[in-house]
Amino acid sequence: MGLIRYSTVRLAGMLATVLVGCIVVFLVMKAAPGDPALSILGENAHPEAIAAFRHKYNLDAPVLIQLANWFVAALHGDLGQSLTIAGGRPITELIARRLPNTLFIGIFAILIAVAASLVIGTIAALNRGRLADTIATSMAVLGISMPDFWLSYMLVFAFALGLGWLPSYGFVSPLESLPGAFYSGLLPAAAIAAPMAAVFARTLRTALLGVAHQEYVTAARSFGFRPSFVFIHWVFRNALIPYVTVIGLQVRYILGGVVVIERIFGVPGIGSLMVDAGFARDYPVVQACTVVFLAIVLLVNFAVDLTCSALDPRRTR
Amino acid sequence: MNTALLRAIIRNRTAATGLAITALVLLAVTLGAALSPYSAVDMDFLNVLAPPSLAHPFGTDSFGRDVLTRVLFGGRVSLVVSISGVVLAALVGGMAGLFSAWHGGWVDAALMRVSDLVFSFPSFVLALLLMVVFGSSVINVAAAIALVYLPIFARLTRNMALLVKHEPYVEAARLMGQPVWRILFREILPNIAAPLLVQASIGIAFAVVIEAGLSFLGLGVQPPLPSLGVIMADGREYFQRGPWVLTLTGVFISIALLGLNLLGDGIRDLTDPRLRERIGS
Repeated sequence: MGLIRYSTVRLAGMLATVLVGCIVVFLVMKAAPGDPALSILGENAHPEAIAAFRHKYNLDAPVLIQLANWFVAALHGDLGQSLTIAGGRPITELIARRLPNTLFIGIFAILIAVAASLVIGTIAALNRGRLADTIATSMAVLGISMPDFWLSYMLVFAFALGLGWLPSYGFVSPLESLPGAFYSGLLPAAAIAAPMAAVFARTLRTALLGVAHQEYVTAARSFGFRPSFVFIHWVFRNALIPYVTVIGLQVRYILGGVVVIERIFGVPGIGSLMVDAGFARDYPVVQACTVVFLAIVLLVNFAVDLTCSALDPRRTR
Repeated sequence: MNTALLRAIIRNRTAATGLAITALVLLAVTLGAALSPYSAVDMDFLNVLAPPSLAHPFGTDSFGRDVLTRVLFGGRVSLVVSISGVVLAALVGGMAGLFSAWHGGWVDAALMRVSDLVFSFPSFVLALLLMVVFGSSVINVAAAIALVYLPIFARLTRNMALLVKHEPYVEAARLMGQPVWRILFREILPNIAAPLLVQASIGIAFAVVIEAGLSFLGLGVQPPLPSLGVIMADGREYFQRGPWVLTLTGVFISIALLGLNLLGDGIRDLTDPRLRERIGS
C-alpha cells in the first residue's frame, strides 16, 4: 500500500513540475529579444504579411492567452507548427519521428555504461588498494576528464577512419533495422557512455566498500555463508541503491551529451533537431524540444525512485 | 582557504597531483600565453596545416596560426568564462541556500522547488536554450553556466547549513545576539566551505565542457575570439587533413579537467571520507 501512495504522490509532483516547466520555458521564449515575424519574413516585410504571419502562428494574442492556447493544444498532442526548419509542419510529427533515435542512442549508451561500470566497479572494490583498483580508479578519473564530443572524434579516427570497422557518420533508425541501429549507433553511444561509465564505476566501488563493513554483512558472514553468496545477496543488493540513484542523476548529463553527439554523427534525433531549430530561430521547435527533454528527465527520475523503493522498502514508509 | 587545508592538500597524493596540474595549466594560460612568440589570431599562409614540430609543438591550423598559442589563449578565455559562471552560481546559490536553511518554512520550500525545477532540465539543454534565446556571447555563456550551477550550489549549501544550524557554536552566537548575517557568514559558512570548494572545483571542470560544447556547435563563444570549443570546431572542419588541431586541443582540455577533478576528489577525501562518490554534474 505504501508503494502505491508513494508513487501517486511522486507522479503528481512530476506532473506539476512538467506544468511549471512548460510555463517557464514558454515565458523565457517570449522574453527572447527580436520579433520572430521580423526575423523570418525580413526587416522590410510588408506590414500585412507580418500581421498575417502573427495571426497564423497565434502571435497576436496577449501572452497569457498564447500560453493557454499552447497548453490546451499540447494536452491534445499538438505542439504547434515549425516556423522555419520544416515550415508549417506539425512539431509533434517532427518529434515523433526523431524521438526513437534519441531514446535508442541514450538507452544504448546507458547499457554500455552499466555493463562496463559493473565489471570495473566490482573489480576495483574487490581488489581495494591493489594494482587493479589503482588502474580502474585512474581510468575512471580519466574518463570523466575527456569531453565526450572530443572522444567521439577520437573514436571515429580509430574505428572508422583507421580500422574501417564502423561508419563515421549517419544513423539507421531502430524502426527500420535494429541490427543497423546497433551498428551505426555504437560509436555515438560509446562516446556518451565513456564518461558515464567512469562516474557509475566510482559510485559502485564506493558503495560496495561502504556496504561491506555494515553489521548485517558481518552477521551474514559469521553464519558461514559462502563469500560469493554474501556478496550477491547482501553487499551487492544494497550497493545498488546509490548506484541506481546516480544513473538517474546522470540522465540529465546523458541527454546533454546526446545533443552534441547527434550533431557530430548525423543522428536525426531531438538533440540535433533542437540545435538546427536554434540556428534557424525556430522558437516553437526549440521550446517543444526543451519540454520533451524535461519530460524524459522527470520520467526517468520517477522510474529511479520506484526502483529504489523496491530495493529499499524503508523509503515508502 | 586556510593554511591547514592547504597543507593537508599538499600531503594528500590525489589532491597534490590535482593542485600541481591545475597550477601548471593556470601558469600556461597566463604566463605561457604571454611568452609565446606567435600570435593567436594573425595568419601565416606560408605555413598552413604544418604538423607538430619543435617550432610548433601543436602544429598549425588552416590559417597557419600556431595551435599551441591559440590553445593557451583559448584556454584562458574558456577558464575565465567557466570560473566566472561557477563563482557567480556559488555566490548567488550559496546566499539563497544559506538564507533558505536559516529561514526555513515556506521560503525554504519555495526556493527548493525552484531549484528542483531548474535542476530537472538537462544542463546542456538549458545552456543551449539560453544561447538560442539571448544570443551567443561570452557573457551569455558565463550566465548559462551560472544558471546550470545555481540549483546545485543552492541545495548543497542549504543541506550543509541545515547540518550545522543547531551546532552549539551557532546556538551560542545566536544567544549572544549576533546579527543573522554574521552568524551565516562567520559561523556557518566557514564550517561548510569544504564541500562547496569540492563542488566548485568539479563544477569548473564540467563548465569548461559546457563552454567547449556550446562553442563547438557554434552557439557559444564566437570567432575570431579563440576558446577551446572554437578551436576544436575549427579543427573539426579539416580533421582528416590536420587531425592534430582537434586531437591536441582535446588532450589539453582533458589534462586541465583531470587536474580539477583530482583536486576536487582529493579535497573531498580529506574532508569527508564518507562522501566519495560524485553525484550530478
